[in-house]
Formats: sequence, structure tokens, C-alpha cells
Amino acid sequence: MASAAAGQINTEELPSWGSRSVDCFEKLEQIGEGTYGQVFMARETRTGEIVALKKIRMDNEKEGFPITAIREIKILKRLHHENVVKLKEIVTSTGPEGDEQGNQDGNKSKGGIYMVFEYMDHDLTGLADRPGLRFTVPQIKCYMKQLLTGLHYCHVNQVLHRDIKGSNLLIDNEGKLKLADFGLARSFCSNHEGNLTNRVITLWYRPPELLLGATKYGPAVDIWSVGCIFAELLHGKPILQGRSEPDQLNKIFELCGSPDEINWPDVSKSPWYNNFKPTRTMKRRVREIFRHFDSHALDLLDQLLALDPNQRCTAKQALDAEYFWADPLPCDPKSLPKYESSHEFQTKKKKQQRRQTEEITKGSKSQHYHKHYRLPPIQHTGQAPPQWYGPNHPINDAQPPLSAGPSHHHYGKPHGPPGGPSRYPPGNQGGPYHLNRGGQVGGYSGGPYPPQGRAPPYAGSGMAAPSSRGAPGGYGVGPPNYSQTNQYGIPAAGRGVNIRNQQYGRQ
Amino acid sequence: MAANFWTSSHYKQLFDQEYVDVVLPLDKEKGITLEDFKLIKMHMASYISKLAQHVKVRQRVVATAVTYMRRVYTRKSMSEYDPRLVAPTCLYLASKAEESTVQAKLLVFYIRKIYSDEKYRYEIKDILEMEMKILEALDYYLVVYHPYRSLSQLLQDAGLNDISMTQLTWGVVNDTYKMDLALVHPPHLIALACIYIASVLREKDTTAWFEELRVDMNVVKNISMEILDFYENHRMIPDERFNAALNKLAFKP
Repeated sequence: MASAAAGQINTEELPSWGSRSVDCFEKLEQIGEGTYGQVFMARETRTGEIVALKKIRMDNEKEGFPITAIREIKILKRLHHENVVKLKEIVTSTGPEGDEQGNQDGNKSKGGIYMVFEYMDHDLTGLADRPGLRFTVPQIKCYMKQLLTGLHYCHVNQVLHRDIKGSNLLIDNEGKLKLADFGLARSFCSNHEGNLTNRVITLWYRPPELLLGATKYGPAVDIWSVGCIFAELLHGKPILQGRSEPDQLNKIFELCGSPDEINWPDVSKSPWYNNFKPTRTMKRRVREIFRHFDSHALDLLDQLLALDPNQRCTAKQALDAEYFWADPLPCDPKSLPKYESSHEFQTKKKKQQRRQTEEITKGSKSQHYHKHYRLPPIQHTGQAPPQWYGPNHPINDAQPPLSAGPSHHHYGKPHGPPGGPSRYPPGNQGGPYHLNRGGQVGGYSGGPYPPQGRAPPYAGSGMAAPSSRGAPGGYGVGPPNYSQTNQYGIPAAGRGVNIRNQQYGRQ
Repeated sequence: MAANFWTSSHYKQLFDQEYVDVVLPLDKEKGITLEDFKLIKMHMASYISKLAQHVKVRQRVVATAVTYMRRVYTRKSMSEYDPRLVAPTCLYLASKAEESTVQAKLLVFYIRKIYSDEKYRYEIKDILEMEMKILEALDYYLVVYHPYRSLSQLLQDAGLNDISMTQLTWGVVNDTYKMDLALVHPPHLIALACIYIASVLREKDTTAWFEELRVDMNVVKNISMEILDFYENHRMIPDERFNAALNKLAFKP
């Protein structure tokens, strides 16, 4: 057995049991903030392998080893799937005896525990937020397929993830997507009607049943989050950016219609139904608001975002959806472009820094030019498009598609090759940027969410390229508060996107 | 696909009886025999069970806690890891792992209530400290499978799911945690052995049913023998014998 001598920490070999010291790793950079601690990129000194170290915060624990960490370890130790992040080992720093003070984080003598994960280059939010980056449709299909495959595996194994969101979906440079952060995950029994907490899932991705106080729920909660992510990928930004729980519900109702006993039997028995029931009847507008999505995407989205959890499709049903089997097919993950590492934590930090420098150099007023927001993919709406880009074929190499139908592919020129961030003009981060979006866990503690994380309001969004193209806008006809937060449906804004794209190329 | 018993860490952590029966050198030096070793573990299993009744947690938590405790002692000596601290700490950890969290202070309160003996007295900080050591000794493998789940299915399948049979078998399964069976045999075989014993006791003919199962009846019978042997020899053990064994370890001088 390769265990270390008593009282010492093993810094050498992988022991057959027991754990090694964190000193086997060299911390390189902080890349995230998990449910209960920081995440670092680190190098294993002996092998040079790059890993992610997730520190389990112990300082504020009156009850010893945090139960969230226990859940995550328990669950990750029994889930083994290519779309679920792999827990490689657990390492400790200067054991609980605390004989030595080798902690850089200024913690007291308490020893730390780190979970060692395979390193993944990106998270979906970080990647999507890369300036100028635009996902292709086959790429989105590829990510969605992997997300659903991973989630299906969890659900089959009776694990609810309960915090599906972009920053918890890790992506490596092979195009592989993996579910991560199981800190809120739980096993569930389909027969055992357990009382679960409804304070889970980051607000923007939280399903209506949880907002209505359900404590008995199942895999459908994760599926709702998948629906939100799916629409976000196609739309270019989060679709339901509620500021508070009531506001979130309201936004859901405005999009999906108000619930009643017909579209959602027994909804009125939800614990908080009477507090939150909509004051007026609203009709479902998913297909109207997102009519710029292609019809298969819409069909799938409609099922993912079913108000009634019992009518929401399962991960398996979603994988069987026509969307994944129609052209353009999901691409091979390996065919995806490789990007420089990006995690939401880092992109956020960069943006903040950029904003700060900018605020110093410029006045604060001139900022709403060139605000950065995500670019939605090029999509063909409704009618059969004139040109499909084939599977495994980056859209950018395709011929510029002809404008057909209600024109959302006003996309003139092929992009340049992927380039570093330097290709993007510096500065220009005007929009409010809120730290507690994403990696932080404000969501399930009920803290209010910022109204807009990334997307600038309409007034500020890329109006530098005025155009009078008259395509009817999706959100434009929506309720007033929708038109605030969208760039779609305002053709001019859409043009702005394209012009910027031509200018800076895809990155 | 994982997350069933056969791909679980539990399956990979089944040991040979000989491995489980190794008294570690440090304990041997203090004169601990294999019999002492078994007695202490048995006593600690009852301690965990008693404590669990006070803090009101499910049998499943007890079963997990006892399994943790037994696994710890395949790797750590009792001289270094005082059983009187390891036992409550395993219950503490199992309560978290089985989603029925018990506060450390509640445990400490009931420990005092159950044992006035100074040697059992431990504080919250001792439990929290030991928790980390146990996690490490367990290599963070916290999922334990138990015979209970297969038990009800099997009883139903055998047409033996009346209350009296269910209760009897359930009780036998509970008693298996006083032995190291869970470390050596997969849970469904333990469940079958318990059904076998119960059916013999209640004079139910299960021969045909057992024949149809594709299991190694020799293993089932061996497990049954071990359980029966336990009932014969270890039903009543005077506390003095536990204490004599524990005293060899001489903690807290």
C-alpha cells in the first residue's frame, strides 16, 4: 500500500485508499466560484496534467463536512458518463490536525479539502459570452444533445441536478459538454414522495412549479432549465431574466401563458398558487415570440417549456425530437473550433476590469456604443430555407445564405478565423454587470437577480448601424416589458449584429 | 451505466473474510484478539443503534453507519481510532449521507445520556475532527447498498410478504449488521439468507422458489450458517466482556 506514514500527508503516489495532499498540485488561477468554494485551475506537479481543484469551504461549518459536499461526492462517485464531469480524486491540505499552515487563502489552521476534477476549458456561459462568438446551429444541436444525454443519464440514475445553467455546463476543446457542479443535486425516489426544497435552481432557470412552492417534484425541473438554455442559445441571451421570484413567475406567464386547470391540472393546489396566481389571463406565446427559430427547434422548445411539469417532455423524449434528426444534424463535437479557455468567472472578471478602465478613461456617458452582447446563431425560419449548411460544416464557410422568409439571416460575409480577444475592440462594456449572476448561488437563496446580466437594453444595443429593414420583430409585438430586453425584432439591432460581425470576425 | 450495485464502489469494496478479520498490528500489540475485535465491533454496532433510536433516524442510517464503522476498521486500528468516538461519528456522517441530518450537539447530548462512563464522553469538536478522518479512511465512498430494498421485492416474489414473515426477516437483516456480512457479501445474497432462515423458522417451504433463482445456494446457505452461528454464540454477551476488550485499548488514561 502506498499510503503515507502516520501523521504525514502523501504527496507522492496515488494511494490505494486515503487521500493525497493538495501539495501535489500547483494552483494556477481561480476559474470559478462553486456552491461552496472556489475553483482553481491547477497543474499536477508530477505529471503536468491540468486539473480543476474545487475547494470545499470548511470555515463556516458548524456541522462539520458540508452536506452539499457530501451529496456531490456521493453522487459523482457513482455517476460515470462522458457527459458528466469526472471527479478524479479528493485531496486534503494539511489535515484536520492543522499542524502546518500551508494555506494560501489565509484560512486558519483548519485543513482544506479539494475535489479534483478533470479540467475543462470552458463553460457554456463563458463561451457564449466571448466577444463576437456566434454558435452555429449544428454546434447548438451538438451541445444540446450532449446536455440532454448527460441529463438523461442522471435522471435514469435517479439524480436531479437542480442547478442546470450555462456556467455549470463545461465544455472542453474537443467539443465535449459535461454537467458539473452537483452541489445542489439530490437522489430522488420515484416512488418515495420525499419533501424536497423548492429553493433550488438559479432563478432565471427555475421552473414554475418550484416558484409556486412545490416540494414534490422530479426530473422535469431540470428539463425546464434545459429549455431556458436552449432558447438562450438560439436567442443570444437569457430569455427569462426575472428580478425576483414573483417577477420570474410573471415573465414565465407572459411567455408561456397563465396556468389554469386546463393547461396544468391541479396547479391551483400548488402551495403558493394563491399568492402568485396571475391577475389576468395570458396566452402562450412561445411560438410567436420565438418564431425566428426553425420549426423543429420551436417544437422542441415548446415541449421543454411546458408549464405543467407532467406535460414537459423527458430528456429521452427530447433526444428523440425531430430537431436532432433533421438537417442540419448535430455536428461531431471534435469538429468544433477550439477556443481559448473561457469560464464565466473569467469573462466576468475581464469585463469588469474592462469596464473599470473604461470608466476611468472615458466619461460614463459615451458607453452605449458597441455594447457587447451575444450573437444568436443564424437560423432559418419557418419555410424551407434556400440553402442548408450540411452537418459538420461550420456555417461560416458556407455561402452566404440568401435572405428568404422573414429574414434573420442577413449575414453577409464569412467570418474570419477564430482569433484572440485582441481582435475585439477594447472597452465598451457599458451594461450593468452583476457578480451574483451565474457562478454565485444567489438564485436559490432567493436573492433578487439583476434584470439584465449581459444583454444591454434595446436603447443601447448596437444602434450604430441604422437600417430600415422591415422584418416584423418577434419580441416587438410582445408585452411591453419584453420589448425592453431584446435585440430581436428590432431589425436595426439585428443589422448591428451583422455589421459587427463582419468587422471583427468570429472569435 | 452505473449507479447500481454491481458498478458501485460498494461492489468493488467487498472484501474477503480473511481481510476483514485482520487485527491490525497496533491493536495486536495491545493484546486485542480476533474475538475481541469482533466483540468490539458488535458492541459499537449496538451503540450506534441505541444512539440512533434516541435521535430518531431510520434503520437505513444505522445500517450505513455500522457499515462505515466496519470499513474504517479494515484500515485503521482501534488504538488510533477510538471506537467510542468512531461509532457516534459514523452515525453523524451516515445521517448526512442518508439525508436525515442529525446535529452534532444532539448526538453529544444523547451520548452523555446513554453512557455516564467518562470514556464515552466526547465533545462536538471531537466528532467533527473524527468525521474528516473517517471520510478519508472511507476514501469518500459513502454510498452503501443494503439488503432492505431487495428484501421486500424478494418476499413479494416468493409470496411471503405477510406481516409476520416481513417482520421476522427484517429483524434478521437488522441483526446481520452485528456481523461483518455487509463487508463481505452483496446485499441481495444477505437478503436471501435472511429469507431462508425466516422461512425455515416459520416452516414455509421455499425450496422450489430458491431453486428457480439463479443464485449460488451454497453462498446463501453459508451466510445463513454464519447468522445462525451468531445467534447461538453471541446472543447474550455480558457487558464485562466488551469492557474487558475495550480496556485493552486503553484510551484516555
